[in-house]
Order: sequence, then C-alpha cells, then structure tokens
Amino acid sequence: VVPGETALAFYKAKNPTDKPIIGISTYNVVPFEAGQYFNKIQVKQRLNPQEEVDMPVFFYIDPEFAEDPKMAKVDLITLSYTFFEAKEGQKLPLPGYP
Amino acid sequence: MSTAMNFSNKSFAPRPPDKGAFPLDHFGECSAFKERFMECLRRSGYESAACRQSAMAYLECRMDRQLMANEPLEKLGFKDLINEKSEEKPEKS
Repeated sequence: VVPGETALAFYKAKNPTDKPIIGISTYNVVPFEAGQYFNKIQVKQRLNPQEEVDMPVFFYIDPEFAEDPKMAKVDLITLSYTFFEAKEGQKLPLPGYP
Repeated sequence: MSTAMNFSNKSFAPRPPDKGAFPLDHFGECSAFKERFMECLRRSGYESAACRQSAMAYLECRMDRQLMANEPLEKLGFKDLINEKSEEKPEKS
C-alpha cells in the first residue's frame, strides 16, 4: 500500500450463536505513531444468527506519513480489526483509555 | 462516530473518518465483486495498487445497491481510473 493511495481490505466475521448479535467493530493500528495517519472508526452492526459476513475496510494513509522523519523506519503497519458484542447500556472500554 | 485514540503529547487534529464504515452486505450482493478483487490480490502477490480497478468495481457495486453512501469516484482516490474508463464508456458520472 502506498501512502496517498486508497486501499481496500476485507475481514470476515461470523455469529456462531442462534441469536442476533449487535457488535461493535473497531480497528487499531500499530506501530502506535503510525496511528496518527490513520482514521479510527467504530461501527455498530448487527449479525443475524449463524450469519457470516465480509466486512470491507477502505482506508487511506496520509501522504504526509512518507515525509515524517519519525516514520522513516516504519515499513510495516498492521491494521487489526476487533468485533465484539455490544451490551445494552454498556460503556465501551476503549483500549488505551483508563 | 470516530474517536481519537492517542495518548501522546504530540498534538494532532484527529481527522474525520473517510469512508471507513459500511453497512453489512447481509445478502452478499457484492460478493462476486469482492471475490474478483481477492483473486486479483492473490495473483498480484497482495499488491494493493495492482487491484485498484477491482476495488473500484466493488465500491461501485455497493453504491449501486445503497450499501454505501454515494461518493464520486474521484474523491475515493480513483481519479486516474475514471479517465481510462470514460474513454471506453462515455456515460459515467
């Protein structure tokens, strides 16, 4: 993936239960410093019983990334995707927050 | 909704999300397009740039079926591919 170029990726999620699940999907980026060049989004979605879906992620790395001297040694950025169940009224524990 | 998850002292303004979130394609309406894109990736050794045409086709499929907010393809980073396309097909907004 080239900074400044939009890219598409897919993740697959399955609801193995017999009940519909409302899930929250969020993605995270390592290394940490590269994260500032990424957009972080949380999305609430519903998966029906036994449903399996492909979830597209369409993203873009800011071209300024290539100019940031702190990023010079970064040649691998990992984008990971987490899908977890949302409970009614639950306050979302965001990674990295107290 | 977007959240900025960053603890560092560097100040940076969190950018509003660009087209990252999609409703689920519950009926797999665009699965064929997704497959074409994935096949392209496998063939090209996962070179994202080689498969932009297929990526664009996938997103067009989504937009045509209301599975994605309509955006002009130039804004999604496919400006150069549009110009090629309009040489073959004059009708494309």
